[in-house]
Amino acid sequence: MTENKKFKRRATVRVLEERCKGCWYCVNYCPTKVLVVSEKLNSKGYHPPEFAENIEENKVCIACHLCELYCPDFAIVVEELK
Amino acid sequence: MSIMEDLRREEEKLLRTERLPHVWCPGCGIGIVLNAFLRSVLRRNMDPNKLVVVSGIGCTGRAAGYVNVDSFHTTHGRAIPFAVGIKFARPDLNVVVFSGDGDLFAIGGNHFINAARRNHDLLIIAVNNFTYGMTGGQHGPTTPTGAYTTTTPYGNPDRPFNIPHLAISLGAPYVARWTTYHVNQLQNSIHKALGMKGFRVIEIISQCPTVYGRRNYMRSPLSMMEYFQKNSIVKNDATFEEMELTYNGKIVVGEFRSVEDIPTYEERYEDIIRRAQNEGGD
Repeated sequence: MTENKKFKRRATVRVLEERCKGCWYCVNYCPTKVLVVSEKLNSKGYHPPEFAENIEENKVCIACHLCELYCPDFAIVVEELK
Repeated sequence: MSIMEDLRREEEKLLRTERLPHVWCPGCGIGIVLNAFLRSVLRRNMDPNKLVVVSGIGCTGRAAGYVNVDSFHTTHGRAIPFAVGIKFARPDLNVVVFSGDGDLFAIGGNHFINAARRNHDLLIIAVNNFTYGMTGGQHGPTTPTGAYTTTTPYGNPDRPFNIPHLAISLGAPYVARWTTYHVNQLQNSIHKALGMKGFRVIEIISQCPTVYGRRNYMRSPLSMMEYFQKNSIVKNDATFEEMELTYNGKIVVGEFRSVEDIPTYEERYEDIIRRAQNEGGD
């Protein structure tokens, strides 16, 4: 039980950074807030989101795929973990 | 491998990925609608070779360039006539018109009305962003009364089109309206409409932060999305007055009409051809 609870995350988010245009719908609509605006820039000058999980603060990806659905630029791929 | 992961992988094959990133502005809702449309096509297990996407001119008109199926980028306002022609020549194809409000209801308004009246077998995905985005934000036939645009700096005096009511009055068998905030409902609605016959109209209220939101106190993509989130009400049996869009008012969304068994124009035409051949005579 403790083991399971520690590794509760079920997916990871891959951002195709060159497609991102920095609208941050994904950052805003993530129910567990695992995405943050990153410091880096892509070639068009936008700040793409970054996958930043924090297990202590319960910020873990629950594989709801909402960021994928909201992304207008087809820039997000959610990869589920088995 | 989950279903959602499969959808995402297959979706990439339906996109012309070499053209991405697309031309739409940061936060534009057309990408969300295209995403929902491609996912619905995949969920229907449709053959991409039997799907045609037709679009007109404008921001939404660019959608035809990004789908990796047979697609037409037609002249301004004439997306529906082109689609009708394709349907007549090849009745086995699924024809989808993916276009914007300025294209379908301003210059193409008459085509929309008459195609709906005849009940052509087409799926109309009408992305309504309240304005002419590509040309710089002029007011259009769907701009709400009182909205500020480049051509109406003191507020728009016109009344906007009530698109679902217009489509229902012309007897369209499937009429729905969603906003880009309702991503799952939108996807389910397109999925359902793809399986039906007749003139199906889905109006999607989309955000245009660059030229509409900027002049109407919604400067960021997120603030426009927040407006949809706070002001939309799902009501499937909405009355004509409720469906009307008002400036910064409530947006009534839902599936307003869904009926089966209305004969399409193509079916009636085939019937006439059969009758004429049976009667013979020369």
